[in-house]
Amino acid sequence: MIVRDSNGETLDLMPLNVGPSHPATHGCLRFMAAMDGETIVASVEEIGYLHRGFEKMVERGTWQQVVPYTDRLNYCSAIMNNIAFCRAVESMFGVELPERCKVLRVIVNELSRINDHFVCVAAAFQDLGGTTPFMYAFNPREEIMCIWEKLTGARLTNSYARIGGLSRDAYDGFEQDVLAALDSTEKALKDLHACLDRNRIFLDRTVGIGKISAEKAISYGWTGPCLRACGVAADLRKDEPYYDYETYDWEVVVGTQGDCNDRLQVRLAEIEESVKIVRQALKRLAPGPVDIVDPRIRVPAHKLAYQDMEGLIGRFKSVYEGVRVPEGEFYSGSECANGELGFTIVSDGSGHPYRIKVRPPCLTQFAAFHELVEGGQLADSMAVLSGLNIIAGELDR
Amino acid sequence: MTDEAQKPSIITSSLDFLVNWGRTNSLWPFPYGTACCAIEFMSTEVGRYDLSRIGSEYVRFTPRQSDVLLVAGTITYKQAPILKRIYEQMAEPRWVIAMGACACSGGFYDCYCTVPGIDHIIPVDVYIGGCPSRPEAFFDAMFDLQKKIKDESYMKQRASRVKDQLEMIKAKTAEATAAAKDFAQAKVEMAKEFVSEKEQELVKKAQFWKE
Amino acid sequence: MDFKELTEKFGGKLDAQAKWDDCVVVPREYLHNVVAFLKDDPSCKMDMLVDIAGIDYLTYPNHEGERFAISYAFKSLKHPGLRVRLKVQVGESDLKVPTISDLYANANWYEREVFDQFGIEFTGHPDLRRLLNHVEFVGHPLRKDYPAQKRQWLSTNDYLLPELEKRLETLGYWIVQRSKEVETKDNEFLEGSVKE
Repeated sequence: MIVRDSNGETLDLMPLNVGPSHPATHGCLRFMAAMDGETIVASVEEIGYLHRGFEKMVERGTWQQVVPYTDRLNYCSAIMNNIAFCRAVESMFGVELPERCKVLRVIVNELSRINDHFVCVAAAFQDLGGTTPFMYAFNPREEIMCIWEKLTGARLTNSYARIGGLSRDAYDGFEQDVLAALDSTEKALKDLHACLDRNRIFLDRTVGIGKISAEKAISYGWTGPCLRACGVAADLRKDEPYYDYETYDWEVVVGTQGDCNDRLQVRLAEIEESVKIVRQALKRLAPGPVDIVDPRIRVPAHKLAYQDMEGLIGRFKSVYEGVRVPEGEFYSGSECANGELGFTIVSDGSGHPYRIKVRPPCLTQFAAFHELVEGGQLADSMAVLSGLNIIAGELDR
Repeated sequence: MTDEAQKPSIITSSLDFLVNWGRTNSLWPFPYGTACCAIEFMSTEVGRYDLSRIGSEYVRFTPRQSDVLLVAGTITYKQAPILKRIYEQMAEPRWVIAMGACACSGGFYDCYCTVPGIDHIIPVDVYIGGCPSRPEAFFDAMFDLQKKIKDESYMKQRASRVKDQLEMIKAKTAEATAAAKDFAQAKVEMAKEFVSEKEQELVKKAQFWKE
Repeated sequence: MDFKELTEKFGGKLDAQAKWDDCVVVPREYLHNVVAFLKDDPSCKMDMLVDIAGIDYLTYPNHEGERFAISYAFKSLKHPGLRVRLKVQVGESDLKVPTISDLYANANWYEREVFDQFGIEFTGHPDLRRLLNHVEFVGHPLRKDYPAQKRQWLSTNDYLLPELEKRLETLGYWIVQRSKEVETKDNEFLEGSVKE
């Protein structure tokens, strides 16, 4: 197409469609760019290619049946989404979890965060052309996924958290496995930093690319590592702490430039902070109950259902009718791997959710994509896209 | 090919064996990954479960260069025409693996936006269950596909092999488009009725005010 | 948080349904002013719009009032931990709400999603079209009277060229000659491949 710009010059632009199926392993994103040679002059993006109807599906089941759907929101760090949802519902009940449950939730939260950041960084480097960091980054992921398999039964989308506790307690040998996984994580981090920190190609392709100012990022509603890379120290684990995050000794990682390099380096540094938190949490792990003892919230244990009449009735009612969440509306956000994952929950007092709206962290980041990409080159847009860690499952729900 | 040449003989069967051996041991996948199964596929590619040991050394993200269209993840109606287009752009011989519950049957997303299984759109050779499918299940499926390929005769055009599946897809597509048209027409009718009702009300009001 | 200004100046009412956080129901005419106030006033300084959620109360037991409501959630980075929600009630007969996409950049997509799923129009929105569902979708799926299993086929994917041209125009370019929309030609399909 031929356009005339504000100075009166005519340009011949080529519209290029970077379609929903493309080599960047991020799934269903689409953007159309008007190109002047290799430079992108304007771009519009399109989502919805993985819209699976989360919000309509959860309305037809019970509150506990929402948890597997939340798994598939940000599928790289599935347990974090479960915990975010269960935390929202438990706030509506106003209950306090037992100590062991809180510590276990912190451990699995941070391990999931490590998983997610590794996937993001690995996919980012593969998009830029390097396949070796991809292999390095997936090794600790395998170890953590083996832990998930032993702990929850599934490797990737494990619905571990329940409203009022966890689905099962940690197994014998959990702590040794986690320590081994942390060692593997640190080794992989060392390898990744060796590959990247002084790699000329990587630095040329990511430093100064896709810069966004902090004001614009806040106006777009960015949260999580992308916002922290712009220099804003906003982390829900420190601002509105939950599960005793403020009692652990860790720091919020903040970048300076707000460019692509910062976003990836912030993620790598956050892995280190998560490792610190997990090591401290493992020391706090003490024997105790893992579920709330309240049959209205957490279904009674299997043993009781076989022995007791009240246990049986409690289990029947909880599974069949659903947990009766008190009537009302509530918004609650948790710090997930990409940013603030929020749930706006409308409950009508019955066992079925009335309305659950998910606030996906990647939606805001992808909404600003055109700001990051315009004026740059096409190859840079791939670097930008992978640095934002867009997970289509969360974006489209 | 003349009729005589199409009859099986020692030459054609050895040729078959050779060609199929080549195809079986160098299946190049095109991971059409949309959702969680794509992440499990990434785990299959690297390290512990190594995909290159069965010949798929590096995944090609282009339909022209690949043999196996590996649909991993949920396909929505918005994505469906694109999947179909990509399938049509692949060159023969090509096979399709539906990985994961969502690709096989829509998974537990039984709603207005998901296609209930990609066999409504393209013919599928191997289905893998699981949510997401384990890497071992994926390997099992690849071995099944290899067994299937070994039995193929390269002379019989693939199109005729998948003719039944394609007919079914055509029928389902026609049904779905007809249903969509009916629904849209019903909405248009409703809108027209609404408008005519409003008009009548206004006419009545005008008459009332005249009097 | 002190709600005196919101309730007195703008006619808002504290929402009884919000038992665990703060929510104020404001009339839709004052929405833009309320949001501008929340954004600029130094005592609250809500610099981030967190979420816009549409709610359909059709099958809610004992609900009095309008059928739809929109919940705006805000968060302050200056005062960490300070959050507030606004609620606007929208009736079925008048599905128009003023937009706040000039105050917050992410309201653009949030409002498009509410329009897509519920059918509520936002007056003044620069680009109100569907976000998640496909372009040939008829209806608004998240309304309670839309059956969950009703599927809608899409025959072709939408061309983004009109949107691209709009974006160019907002950037200050003047379109002199449009591109032709490209149709698939026969030679795109290799010999021997199956074409429907």
